[in-house]
Amino acid sequence: MQQPYIKYIAIAIIVLTTTIGCTKKEYKIPTPKDTLQNDCIKRTQGPNIVGQTIEFAYAMAILAEKGNLTNAKVEATMEGDAGTWMENKSYYTNNSGVDVGISVGNASVTAKNVTSVAFNKDTNAATLRYYYVIPEAARGQSVSFTFSAESSNGETVSFKMGPYTIAKMDMKKNITLTDGGLMYLSIADMTAYNATDAAAKAASIDLVYLYRNITTSAYNFALVSPAADAQYLPGVTLPGGVTRSTYERRVVNLQDFNLAQMQYGIYIDDLDFQQLNMTNEPNYAINLKQEAGVWVETADHKYRAYVYFNTASTSTKNAVVSMKRYAL
Amino acid sequence: MKKLIISALIVLSAFSCSKDHPIDDDGLLITPRQECYVSNFELLGADYLTVLTKQPVIDTTAQTVSVIVQFGTDLKNLFPQFTLASDCKLDPRIVGKVDFSDLANPKEYTVISGNRQISKTYKVLITVQPR
Repeated sequence: MQQPYIKYIAIAIIVLTTTIGCTKKEYKIPTPKDTLQNDCIKRTQGPNIVGQTIEFAYAMAILAEKGNLTNAKVEATMEGDAGTWMENKSYYTNNSGVDVGISVGNASVTAKNVTSVAFNKDTNAATLRYYYVIPEAARGQSVSFTFSAESSNGETVSFKMGPYTIAKMDMKKNITLTDGGLMYLSIADMTAYNATDAAAKAASIDLVYLYRNITTSAYNFALVSPAADAQYLPGVTLPGGVTRSTYERRVVNLQDFNLAQMQYGIYIDDLDFQQLNMTNEPNYAINLKQEAGVWVETADHKYRAYVYFNTASTSTKNAVVSMKRYAL
Repeated sequence: MKKLIISALIVLSAFSCSKDHPIDDDGLLITPRQECYVSNFELLGADYLTVLTKQPVIDTTAQTVSVIVQFGTDLKNLFPQFTLASDCKLDPRIVGKVDFSDLANPKEYTVISGNRQISKTYKVLITVQPR
């Protein structure tokens, strides 16, 4: 490139940079809209499971000189289960990072699919939390919500959330398993039984829990099908009729958020169960430990499940497991 | 300037068309290397953790890889991993889970040297740790 051109381009760049770079835009406090405003976020993440809660935070505000808030209301497309409610407190976070609630209205009233809070304080801005307990009727369906607020000057405003798909799967947390006691696990019932009860429910017993400290091999905690080879059930005499063979696959590092009840951000959803291929899998899972898990498919192909070990104690030989289960 | 660009294009075209680096049917480079052996072996379970209880014994004369796997290992769903001498390739290729449950008929894998002139077939001999 010729020398004079470079010179001109350089000058042009400097002039442009100086002009644009030195422009000072004065910050202006935004002018608030003078009508009743609202906004909403969904606070819970992951799959929406029957019996669990979906939490929202609904914010509403009006200029003080225009009036105050009189009523907040949520209308769900399907009636929530018992325990559905809306907070009558508006929260702020104090200097210690703690959310402090201040009562701004009467306790919420839920009539069928509508939950409402009537404000009883002179409030012109509030954020109320709404907890919707997912009913059995919503399984596999979708649910939407319409949040609305009213102010003393007669204005109304609303905000739609959803639709949210409700998972088909079930979940049961914290099932205690004891070696020699509650060691017979039924996926259909999502319950652990002792030998006597297992004999009475033999047709629904899918897994046998046991702990063995074997020095020659790594056995440890195990979930074994009743029909598995006897070498995987050392010292176990099965109750009469307990003979099912369950497909199993041991997994590590799959700490589902709902099951683990810890900080992990992994969620097992319906899709995982739908895409699971358990053909050719064994009917035992040994050498399990705390935070390990087992994918399971029952012998009759009615259920797929993920059983997660919350705790596993070598001293007590007990374990606490949680389960997500999907009906095929 | 024009001349310079044209010259560069000519040189680039000449190099790109040279056939000094032949490739095989799998699109892999054929090199002059003659080494042909397995240098390491690993076996992972369906949970992607090793199932071996100790280091594998690789006999390059007898052409065997002997391993002991943990008690309770699901032999039908294993992921073998071979480490080979430089530029070698493996036949058959490993594309997913492998069924090693037929212990009487060990799986065989052929290592082919970098120059594709030498091949050696290794047997994978599995012993399950007793309980």
